[in-house]
Amino acid sequence: MWIVGMAATAVVALGLLLAGSPKVAANTQQAATEVKIDNFSFGPVALTVPAGTTVTWINRDDMPHTVVSMDDSKTFKSKVLDTDEKFSFTFSKAGTYPYFCSIHPKMTGKVIVQ
Amino acid sequence: MHPFDIKTVLLAKHAQHVVLIHFPIALFIIGVLFDFLAQWRKQLLLAAAAYYNLLVAAIATIPVVVTGILAWQWELEGQKLKGILLMHLVMGCVSSVLIWVVWFIHKRTRRKHEEALPGYRLPIEAVAVVIVGLTGHLGGFLSGVNGPG
Repeated sequence: MWIVGMAATAVVALGLLLAGSPKVAANTQQAATEVKIDNFSFGPVALTVPAGTTVTWINRDDMPHTVVSMDDSKTFKSKVLDTDEKFSFTFSKAGTYPYFCSIHPKMTGKVIVQ
Repeated sequence: MHPFDIKTVLLAKHAQHVVLIHFPIALFIIGVLFDFLAQWRKQLLLAAAAYYNLLVAAIATIPVVVTGILAWQWELEGQKLKGILLMHLVMGCVSSVLIWVVWFIHKRTRRKHEEALPGYRLPIEAVAVVIVGLTGHLGGFLSGVNGPG
Protein backbone atom coordinates (compact mmCIF):
# COMPACT_ATOMS: atom_id res chain seq x y z
CA MET A 1 0.00 0.00 0.00
CA TRP A 2 2.85 2.30 0.88
CA ILE A 3 4.33 1.63 -2.56
CA VAL A 4 1.18 2.98 -4.20
CA GLY A 5 1.39 6.06 -1.97
CA MET A 6 5.03 6.66 -2.85
CA ALA A 7 4.32 6.18 -6.55
CA ALA A 8 1.42 8.62 -6.45
CA THR A 9 3.57 11.18 -4.65
CA ALA A 10 6.33 10.72 -7.21
CA VAL A 11 3.89 11.15 -10.09
CA VAL A 12 2.46 14.33 -8.56
CA ALA A 13 5.96 15.68 -7.87
CA LEU A 14 7.07 14.89 -11.42
CA GLY A 15 3.96 16.56 -12.82
CA LEU A 16 4.57 19.69 -10.76
CA LEU A 17 8.21 19.72 -11.81
CA LEU A 18 7.38 19.46 -15.49
CA ALA A 19 4.59 22.00 -15.26
CA GLY A 20 6.45 24.45 -13.06
CA SER A 21 9.93 24.51 -14.51
CA PRO A 22 9.24 26.27 -17.80
CA LYS A 23 7.29 28.98 -15.99
CA VAL A 24 10.07 29.54 -13.51
CA ALA A 25 12.63 29.65 -16.32
CA ALA A 26 10.50 32.05 -18.34
CA ASN A 27 10.05 34.38 -15.37
CA THR A 28 13.78 34.39 -14.66
CA GLN A 29 14.53 35.16 -18.29
CA GLN A 30 11.95 37.97 -18.37
CA ALA A 31 13.19 39.52 -15.13
CA ALA A 32 16.76 39.52 -16.35
CA THR A 33 16.00 41.49 -19.52
CA GLU A 34 13.71 44.10 -18.08
CA VAL A 35 14.73 47.46 -16.69
CA LYS A 36 12.17 49.23 -14.55
CA ILE A 37 12.12 53.03 -14.46
CA ASP A 38 10.80 54.25 -11.15
CA ASN A 39 11.40 57.08 -8.69
CA PHE A 40 13.81 58.80 -11.10
CA SER A 41 16.12 55.80 -11.44
CA PHE A 42 16.74 52.76 -13.61
CA GLY A 43 16.57 49.36 -11.95
CA PRO A 44 18.80 47.46 -12.19
CA VAL A 45 21.33 50.21 -12.84
CA ALA A 46 23.66 47.69 -14.52
CA LEU A 47 22.20 44.77 -16.45
CA THR A 48 24.33 41.93 -17.85
CA VAL A 49 22.89 39.96 -20.76
CA PRO A 50 24.18 37.64 -23.49
CA ALA A 51 24.47 38.97 -27.04
CA GLY A 52 21.22 38.85 -28.98
CA THR A 53 19.09 39.67 -25.95
CA THR A 54 16.23 42.12 -26.22
CA VAL A 55 16.11 44.47 -23.25
CA THR A 56 12.85 46.19 -22.39
CA TRP A 57 12.57 49.36 -20.33
CA ILE A 58 9.22 50.00 -18.63
CA ASN A 59 8.37 53.38 -17.18
CA ARG A 60 6.64 52.79 -13.84
CA ASP A 61 7.23 56.38 -12.73
CA ASP A 62 4.66 59.19 -12.72
CA MET A 63 7.03 61.28 -14.83
CA PRO A 64 7.93 60.98 -18.51
CA HIS A 65 11.41 59.57 -19.15
CA THR A 66 13.59 58.60 -22.09
CA VAL A 67 16.24 55.94 -22.67
CA VAL A 68 19.17 57.25 -24.72
CA SER A 69 22.55 55.60 -25.21
CA MET A 70 25.52 57.81 -24.36
CA ASP A 71 27.67 56.95 -27.36
CA ASP A 72 28.01 59.51 -30.15
CA SER A 73 26.15 57.40 -32.66
CA LYS A 74 23.18 57.05 -30.29
CA THR A 75 22.92 53.27 -30.68
CA PHE A 76 19.46 53.34 -29.16
CA LYS A 77 17.12 56.19 -28.34
CA SER A 78 13.54 55.93 -27.18
CA LYS A 79 10.74 58.40 -27.63
CA VAL A 80 9.38 60.05 -24.48
CA LEU A 81 7.94 57.23 -22.37
CA ASP A 82 4.89 58.12 -20.33
CA THR A 83 3.76 56.02 -17.40
CA ASP A 84 3.57 52.28 -18.27
CA GLU A 85 5.01 52.78 -21.75
CA LYS A 86 7.80 50.46 -22.92
CA PHE A 87 10.88 50.63 -25.10
CA SER A 88 12.84 47.62 -26.34
CA PHE A 89 16.22 47.23 -28.01
CA THR A 90 18.07 44.10 -29.12
CA PHE A 91 21.79 44.05 -28.32
CA SER A 92 23.52 42.04 -31.02
CA LYS A 93 27.14 42.96 -30.24
CA ALA A 94 29.11 42.44 -27.06
CA GLY A 95 30.18 45.52 -25.16
CA THR A 96 29.11 48.00 -22.50
CA TYR A 97 26.28 50.35 -23.35
CA PRO A 98 25.85 53.23 -20.92
CA TYR A 99 22.62 55.17 -21.25
CA PHE A 100 20.71 58.00 -19.57
CA CYS A 101 17.37 59.82 -19.49
CA SER A 102 17.65 62.94 -21.63
CA ILE A 103 14.98 64.73 -19.57
CA HIS A 104 16.77 63.92 -16.31
CA PRO A 105 20.47 63.55 -17.18
CA LYS A 106 21.36 62.40 -13.68
CA MET A 107 19.43 59.20 -14.34
CA THR A 108 21.97 56.75 -15.77
CA GLY A 109 22.36 53.02 -16.28
CA LYS A 110 24.25 50.54 -18.41
CA VAL A 111 23.75 47.29 -20.24
CA ILE A 112 26.71 44.92 -20.35
CA VAL A 113 26.44 42.55 -23.30
CA GLN A 114 28.66 39.45 -23.11
CA MET B 1 30.32 68.64 -12.95
CA HIS B 2 32.52 71.34 -11.48
CA PRO B 3 30.43 74.40 -10.53
CA PHE B 4 32.90 76.77 -12.23
CA ASP B 5 33.41 74.70 -15.38
CA ILE B 6 32.00 77.32 -17.77
CA LYS B 7 32.35 75.17 -20.89
CA THR B 8 30.40 72.30 -19.38
CA VAL B 9 27.70 74.64 -18.11
CA LEU B 10 27.29 76.47 -21.42
CA LEU B 11 27.27 73.29 -23.48
CA ALA B 12 24.73 71.56 -21.25
CA LYS B 13 21.83 71.62 -23.67
CA HIS B 14 19.29 71.04 -21.02
CA ALA B 15 20.48 73.02 -18.03
CA GLN B 16 20.03 76.69 -18.95
CA HIS B 17 16.24 76.64 -19.09
CA VAL B 18 16.05 75.17 -15.60
CA VAL B 19 18.33 77.92 -14.27
CA LEU B 20 16.96 80.92 -16.20
CA ILE B 21 13.31 80.20 -15.46
CA HIS B 22 13.69 81.41 -11.87
CA PHE B 23 14.32 85.02 -12.97
CA PRO B 24 10.98 85.84 -14.67
CA ILE B 25 9.04 83.90 -12.04
CA ALA B 26 10.59 85.80 -9.15
CA LEU B 27 10.55 89.20 -10.89
CA PHE B 28 6.96 88.85 -12.03
CA ILE B 29 5.58 87.71 -8.68
CA ILE B 30 7.41 90.45 -6.80
CA GLY B 31 6.33 92.98 -9.48
CA VAL B 32 2.69 92.04 -8.98
CA LEU B 33 3.14 92.22 -5.23
CA PHE B 34 4.56 95.73 -5.56
CA ASP B 35 1.67 96.70 -7.82
CA PHE B 36 -0.92 95.45 -5.34
CA LEU B 37 0.91 97.30 -2.55
CA ALA B 38 1.09 100.46 -4.69
CA GLN B 39 -2.65 100.22 -5.30
CA TRP B 40 -3.34 99.75 -1.61
CA ARG B 41 -0.90 102.32 -0.21
CA LYS B 42 -1.22 104.79 -3.16
CA GLN B 43 2.55 105.06 -3.46
CA LEU B 44 4.15 106.02 -6.77
CA LEU B 45 7.50 104.59 -5.70
CA LEU B 46 6.00 101.13 -5.31
CA ALA B 47 4.25 101.53 -8.68
CA ALA B 48 7.60 102.40 -10.29
CA ALA B 49 9.23 99.38 -8.63
CA ALA B 50 6.40 97.21 -9.96
CA TYR B 51 6.85 98.59 -13.47
CA TYR B 52 10.58 97.89 -13.63
CA ASN B 53 10.20 94.42 -12.12
CA LEU B 54 7.55 93.61 -14.71
CA LEU B 55 9.74 95.01 -17.50
CA VAL B 56 12.74 92.85 -16.57
CA ALA B 57 10.45 89.85 -16.01
CA ALA B 58 9.04 90.27 -19.51
CA ILE B 59 12.53 90.55 -21.03
CA ALA B 60 13.66 87.51 -19.03
CA THR B 61 10.92 85.39 -20.60
CA ILE B 62 12.68 85.57 -23.97
CA PRO B 63 15.77 83.47 -23.12
CA VAL B 64 13.57 81.19 -21.04
CA VAL B 65 11.23 80.43 -23.94
CA VAL B 66 14.17 80.08 -26.34
CA THR B 67 16.09 77.67 -24.08
CA GLY B 68 12.92 75.71 -23.35
CA ILE B 69 12.24 75.22 -27.06
CA LEU B 70 15.91 74.38 -27.67
CA ALA B 71 15.80 71.75 -24.90
CA TRP B 72 12.76 70.26 -26.60
CA GLN B 73 14.43 70.29 -30.01
CA TRP B 74 17.85 69.08 -28.90
CA GLU B 75 17.15 66.67 -26.07
CA LEU B 76 13.89 65.25 -27.39
CA GLU B 77 14.57 65.95 -31.07
CA GLY B 78 11.36 67.95 -31.36
CA GLN B 79 9.16 64.90 -31.02
CA LYS B 80 5.45 65.39 -30.49
CA LEU B 81 4.84 66.16 -26.84
CA LYS B 82 2.03 64.86 -24.70
CA GLY B 83 1.00 64.74 -21.06
CA ILE B 84 2.89 66.86 -18.55
CA LEU B 85 5.51 67.97 -21.08
CA LEU B 86 2.84 69.34 -23.43
CA MET B 87 0.99 70.98 -20.55
CA HIS B 88 4.23 72.60 -19.39
CA LEU B 89 4.96 73.92 -22.89
CA VAL B 90 1.46 75.36 -23.37
CA MET B 91 1.27 76.89 -19.91
CA GLY B 92 4.78 78.29 -20.27
CA CYS B 93 3.79 80.08 -23.48
CA VAL B 94 0.57 81.37 -21.90
CA SER B 95 2.55 82.57 -18.87
CA SER B 96 5.03 84.45 -21.07
CA VAL B 97 2.23 86.14 -23.00
CA LEU B 98 0.46 87.14 -19.78
CA ILE B 99 3.66 88.62 -18.34
CA TRP B 100 4.06 90.73 -21.48
CA VAL B 101 0.37 91.74 -21.39
CA VAL B 102 0.66 92.87 -17.77
CA TRP B 103 3.80 94.86 -18.52
CA PHE B 104 2.15 96.39 -21.60
CA ILE B 105 -0.85 97.59 -19.54
CA HIS B 106 1.58 99.37 -17.20
CA LYS B 107 3.63 100.71 -20.11
CA ARG B 108 0.56 102.10 -21.92
CA THR B 109 -0.58 103.93 -18.79
CA ARG B 110 2.85 105.49 -18.31
CA ARG B 111 3.04 106.47 -21.99
CA LYS B 112 -0.32 108.24 -21.80
CA HIS B 113 0.75 109.94 -18.58
CA GLU B 114 -2.39 108.69 -16.89
CA GLU B 115 -2.27 108.80 -13.14
CA ALA B 116 -4.27 105.69 -12.36
CA LEU B 117 -3.61 102.24 -13.73
CA PRO B 118 -6.77 100.48 -14.98
CA GLY B 119 -8.46 98.36 -12.33
CA TYR B 120 -8.93 95.41 -14.67
CA ARG B 121 -5.19 94.73 -14.55
CA LEU B 122 -5.43 93.38 -11.00
CA PRO B 123 -7.47 90.23 -11.83
CA ILE B 124 -5.28 89.70 -14.90
CA GLU B 125 -2.19 89.90 -12.70
CA ALA B 126 -3.73 87.52 -10.16
CA VAL B 127 -4.58 84.97 -12.86
CA ALA B 128 -1.11 85.36 -14.36
CA VAL B 129 0.54 84.67 -11.00
CA VAL B 130 -1.52 81.49 -10.61
CA ILE B 131 -0.65 80.28 -14.13
CA VAL B 132 3.04 81.15 -13.69
CA GLY B 133 3.02 79.26 -10.38
CA LEU B 134 1.35 76.21 -11.92
CA THR B 135 3.79 76.24 -14.84
CA GLY B 136 6.71 76.41 -12.44
CA HIS B 137 5.22 73.61 -10.37
CA LEU B 138 4.96 71.39 -13.47
CA GLY B 139 8.52 72.30 -14.42
CA GLY B 140 9.78 71.42 -10.96
CA PHE B 141 7.91 68.14 -11.14
CA LEU B 142 9.43 67.38 -14.55
CA SER B 143 12.94 68.27 -13.48
CA GLY B 144 12.69 65.89 -10.54
CA VAL B 145 13.40 68.34 -7.77
CA ASN B 146 11.07 66.30 -5.58
CA GLY B 147 12.99 63.09 -6.20
CA PRO B 148 16.56 61.80 -6.26
CA GLY B 149 16.87 62.68 -9.97
